[in-house]
Amino acid sequence: MAGIHIEHVTKSYGQLTVLKDFSLDIADGEFVVFVGPSGCGKSTMLKILAGLEEATSGTIRIGGRDVTDLAPGDRDIAMVFQNYALYPHLTVRKNMGFGLKMRGTDSAEIDRRVTEAAKILGVDHLLDRRPKALSGGQRQRVALGRAIVREPQAFLMDEPLSNLDAKLRVHTRAEISALHKRLGVTTIYVTHDQIEAMTMADRIVIMRDGIIQQIANPDTMFRKPANLFVAGFIGSPGMNFFKATVAPGQGSAMVRLFGQNVPLQAPTGLSGREVVVGLRPEHIVAGEGPVTFAVTPRLVESLGSEKYIYVDVPPENRVEVAHTGGDDRRADTIIARLINPEERAGSGPLTLSFDPARLHLFDAQTHIAI
Amino acid sequence: MKRSLLHSTFLYVAVILVCALLVFPIYWLFITAISPPDQLRVLPPRFWPEIPRWNVFGDVMSDRPILLWLGNSALAALGSVLLSMTVSVLAGYSLSRFRVRGGQSLGLFILTAKMLPATLLVIPLFGIFRTLDLIGSLWSIVLAHATLIIPFTTWMLKGYFDTIPRELEQAAMVDGCSPLGAMVRVILPVSAPGLAATALYGFVLSWSDYAYARTFLTNAQTNWTANLGITTMKGEYISNWGDISAASILVALPVLLIYLFLERYLVGGLTAGAEK
Repeated sequence: MAGIHIEHVTKSYGQLTVLKDFSLDIADGEFVVFVGPSGCGKSTMLKILAGLEEATSGTIRIGGRDVTDLAPGDRDIAMVFQNYALYPHLTVRKNMGFGLKMRGTDSAEIDRRVTEAAKILGVDHLLDRRPKALSGGQRQRVALGRAIVREPQAFLMDEPLSNLDAKLRVHTRAEISALHKRLGVTTIYVTHDQIEAMTMADRIVIMRDGIIQQIANPDTMFRKPANLFVAGFIGSPGMNFFKATVAPGQGSAMVRLFGQNVPLQAPTGLSGREVVVGLRPEHIVAGEGPVTFAVTPRLVESLGSEKYIYVDVPPENRVEVAHTGGDDRRADTIIARLINPEERAGSGPLTLSFDPARLHLFDAQTHIAI
Repeated sequence: MKRSLLHSTFLYVAVILVCALLVFPIYWLFITAISPPDQLRVLPPRFWPEIPRWNVFGDVMSDRPILLWLGNSALAALGSVLLSMTVSVLAGYSLSRFRVRGGQSLGLFILTAKMLPATLLVIPLFGIFRTLDLIGSLWSIVLAHATLIIPFTTWMLKGYFDTIPRELEQAAMVDGCSPLGAMVRVILPVSAPGLAATALYGFVLSWSDYAYARTFLTNAQTNWTANLGITTMKGEYISNWGDISAASILVALPVLLIYLFLERYLVGGLTAGAEK
C-alpha cells in the first residue's frame, strides 16, 4: 500500500490537450473517484497512472517512488478494466495467477493466493472454468480477483461496473467498498456515474475538459459545489438554476424568483450583479414555507417513495446554462423532488416552498460559486 | 407453418444443388481414377465403373515418385507459410496497434503487391533467383510463394487483431508482460482461429501453385512439387487420365485432411468471454 502523488501532469495529442496540469495527492489507503462526463480525461489520467499512456509532462510517484517512466508491470499496481479483459484462453485460476506467474512467484504460493482471493470474492467454485462460461457478474469478480491476488500498492479501476445491469451494479458497488475497507489498498476509481462517486469515494475528483473542477469529499461536493458545473453534475436530478440580478434589500441582498423578492445570505456588495441561483430539487418541499409559490406542474413522475414535479420557470429566471453537467434538461423547467409525497400531490395546482438558506449563488460570467 | 415448410424446402433444395455443384467434380475425378481406360469416354457416361480399379492408387505410387513430390510440396508450403506467418504476424500486429506516420499508406502499399498477378512477377523473380543461384532449389519456391502470401495474410491478420480488444494486452502489460510478451502470451493464443485460417490460406496457395514451380524447378526433377510432377504424367500422344486422376486425388488429400483437422479453429469463437 502506498500514497500516490500526481504532479502537474499534462497529456496532449498534437494540438489537442486532453489533460491540463493535473495535480493530486492521494493518501495511503484512500479511495479516490475520478468522475466527469465522457471525454473529460479521467480514463486518460488512469491510463497514465497505469503506464499504459505516456504523460506529455509531469511526474507520478507511487509510494514515494518516481514511476513516471516505468513500464506498467514495474509500477506495482493492478487494474480492473471496464470490459474485464480476462484472458479468454486461460481458466479463471490461470487468469488470476497470471500476474504472479509473470513475477516469478512459485506455483504453490500462486495457488494459495489465488484460492484465498477466490474465496474472498466467492468464485472459488469457478476456478477451472474459462471466462466464456461465466456470467457478467462472475467475470467482474474474477477481474477483481486478478487485481487483489497480486497484493499491489494500488488498485486502478476503470468504470468496472458499467457493463453490469442496474441491480447487480448496486450490489457490486457495495462489495467493492467492503473489499476496500477489508484490504485498505489505495484505490483510484473512474466513473461517469455521480452516484457511484458519491457512494464509494473518500474523496471525489470531478473533471471537465481535462481540468479538475473540484476535489472534495462527497458531502462537501454536494453542499458546497465549487462552480456551476459541479453543482449540476453532482446530485440526481441535478441542481435547478435560475437567472437573477442581485438587488439591495432590507438588511441583506435579494433576488427575484417566481415573481417574489427572496432574501439572500450574501453580502449587499453584490448588488447589481448578474448571478445564477441554484436550488437542489430535494430542497423544494410541498406546502408553505419561507418562500412559497403556487405552480401547475408540467409533468409529474412518480417513483413510489418520491415524486419528480416538473415546473415551468418564469421567463425572467430562465438560464442558458441549464444543461450544465451533461444534464439534458430544458432551460424553462425545474424539478422539485418531493420525498414521501401525499398521493394527491401533483394531480393539480400545487403549493411549493423553499428555504432561501438553501440557495447557491454562482457568478453568471465565471460560473464560480459566490 | 405453410410458409415455413416452403421456406425449408427451398433452403434444402438450394443447399443440395450447391453441394452437388461443388462435389460433382471431385466425384468425377474419383470415377475417372477407378474406371478402366476404355470406359472413360463412353456415351452415355457411366456413373460407376463395372470393375473399379482399386489398385490404381498403389500403382501410381509405385510407378511415379508421388511421395517425393508430395514431400517437396509440403516442404515448400510449410517453408513459405512459416516465413509468411512470421512476417505477417508482426506486420499485421504493428498495423493494427501502432499509429505511425504513413502507416496506413504502407499498409495499402503492401496490399497492392497482392493485386499484381503471379505471372507478372515470374520474370523478375526468375532474374533475382538466377543471380542468387536459387533456380532449381526449393528455396526459390518458398520465397516466391511468400511474396504472394505475405500481402494478403498481413491484411487478414491485421483485420483479426483489430477485433481483439486492446485491453487484453493492456491487462497483460499491467500483469508484468512486455509489449512483445503480451503479444506472444495473450494475443497470439487468443488469435489461434485467425492464425489457423491465415496459415491454411497460405498453405493452400503454395500447395496449389504450378506457375512458379514450372518456371523455377523444371530442370531439377528431384525437387519437383506434386503439381509439377502430375503435369509430366500427361504424354504428348497418350495420356493415362486414370493415373493422372488418381495422382490428383493423392495430392488433394493432405489439404482435405488439414481442413478437417483445423475446422474447429476455423470456426472461431475462442474470444467469446474476453469482455462483456
